[in-house]
Amino acid sequence: MIVRSPSWIWRRVDLALLAGCVVLAVLPVVLEPSAYTHNQLTFLFLTSAGALAWNWLGGFVGQVSFGHAAMFGVGGFVAARLMLSLHLPAPLGWLGGAVVAGGFALGAHPLLRLRGPYFSIATIGVGEASRLGFTYWESFTGGSSGLSLAIDGDLQYQLYWWALALAAAVAAASLAIRRSSLGLKLLAIKADADAAADVGISATFYQDLICVLSGAVVGLTGGLYASYQSFIEPTDMFGFERSITFVLMAVIGGVGTPLGALLGAVVFVLVRIYLLASYPDLYLGLYGVLLILIILFEPLGLTGLARRGLRWVRRAPAPPGAAS
Amino acid sequence: MPRLVDMLLSAVLLAGLYATMAYGLGLIYGVLRVVNLAHGGVLMAGAYLGWYLHERFGLDPYLSLPVVLVASFVLGVGLYQGLVRWLPRGAAGGPASLLLLFGVWLVLRNIAYLVFTGNDRTILTAYSSSSVAILGSHVSLNRLVVLGIAVAIAVLLHLGLRRTQVGRAIRAVAQNADSCTLVGIDTHRIYTLSFGIGTALAGVAGVLLATIFPFSPSSGSSELLKAFVVVVLGGLGSITGVALAALIVATVEVFAIFVLPAYLTTAVGFVLLVAILVLRPGGLFGHRVLA
Repeated sequence: MIVRSPSWIWRRVDLALLAGCVVLAVLPVVLEPSAYTHNQLTFLFLTSAGALAWNWLGGFVGQVSFGHAAMFGVGGFVAARLMLSLHLPAPLGWLGGAVVAGGFALGAHPLLRLRGPYFSIATIGVGEASRLGFTYWESFTGGSSGLSLAIDGDLQYQLYWWALALAAAVAAASLAIRRSSLGLKLLAIKADADAAADVGISATFYQDLICVLSGAVVGLTGGLYASYQSFIEPTDMFGFERSITFVLMAVIGGVGTPLGALLGAVVFVLVRIYLLASYPDLYLGLYGVLLILIILFEPLGLTGLARRGLRWVRRAPAPPGAAS
Repeated sequence: MPRLVDMLLSAVLLAGLYATMAYGLGLIYGVLRVVNLAHGGVLMAGAYLGWYLHERFGLDPYLSLPVVLVASFVLGVGLYQGLVRWLPRGAAGGPASLLLLFGVWLVLRNIAYLVFTGNDRTILTAYSSSSVAILGSHVSLNRLVVLGIAVAIAVLLHLGLRRTQVGRAIRAVAQNADSCTLVGIDTHRIYTLSFGIGTALAGVAGVLLATIFPFSPSSGSSELLKAFVVVVLGGLGSITGVALAALIVATVEVFAIFVLPAYLTTAVGFVLLVAILVLRPGGLFGHRVLA
């Protein structure tokens, strides 16, 4: 599934992304939204960043991970520990969490030679084992009672821009990876790792690289999330449900497309706001149905739908190699 | 300190259950090359169906097995005809089938939440707590029956795949579907049948599971992982291999209590899974398909 869009789309995507970031950056100052909206937007940026980073491994390389909660949790707890025990300022804590999460992701090195379903199922094992291990390690994670961070109103407010900057940086990095020779190498590995090796692209090296980068960014997200929540506990941070949300957002938005996960994150947060409150019993099934429909009818998710729409509007024939 | 005999016995009893959980997953992978991620959901659904029949109609869980068998067979055929057959086959279908069946799992889970709420359930019968003495240790009658059923299923499956025309056709399709088309086997029918049988086995395993352990709508992920460990360790599709692998996994789990704190013994299965996938991706007994 090689996804290349014509250049006119790229330029508009860049502009739209830039404009979106500027609007969102000044939004709290100009419109002064309620604290609730402010917080929900912060949450949206955090989930977007996580989903985009998941997509580097799951979409660009095609290694579908059901265990990214492990890195999210490691990043979150290391950051929280650095802030609580060493009294480091929050940004340094987040950074520390990201570095350790990246290192933790490198531990997946032996898994990365597995492909397809084998890799995916192994990641379920890693995720669940991490959850149990970190819940058991009470002196570090506080066990099932978790860790509480000091609540800092200013930081909570500023977190909006930190999260926005993170999401924007990850989105820009996604575009940069897709357009670079690295992106082409990843596509080659995704299509056929053996054939890629024949032309001198080491699947081992690039998969490790992407896994570490993806893990570090997800860890960074976990750190910011720890500050956002002020309270974290291992069963939530490392939970299978959390791993699933990364997968869901990326697939709904368009797995393998550079920015699809952004759309997926928007859907995810909207569902969380509007459906989870009124129909808490239906949301899992809703995602299940969405997943089935997307895989059967539009494997590129919302991005695929948007591309169809664009093509229909321009009434132009499909550009060669635009999709599939 | 528990006696060695007790622990070995409980490992054997657990192994029967694990093997039953694994056959369906192995059959579907062996024939269709699809990892049925909905397997955990079907286990859970089977457990609920058995529980419901017992609560509502007072049907003994072991007598409800035929009902569950038929119901989950129909579910499996429906899943194949409605969803799985439309996927691309082979490597390209890998992530797609995984995500699709994961969606099915989420839907099953949600239905169970809606119908049965999220409370933990167990199937409690008059004989749930009775035990018999074997080799000087007390063994739960229930677990013994489960082992008996597991052995019966293994024998039936083995004979069915070896001695019947359909079984031979299933094994042939697992080896080479294209050649089967050439000699006039309706591969589409075989795929449907295999997916149905695999799902039916999962449903039955679910009832067996429910007679021993409590379950809830979110159950299934650790069972799926254990089934997967057993299938991979046993070499995909070999029935004796699966049985041996189930015994190994159960033994490791039972004896892990010596080296690990009780809370972490659940993680043994996950660690074992990763270790086996990385070290012996072909299984301990090599690549044999439905031998």
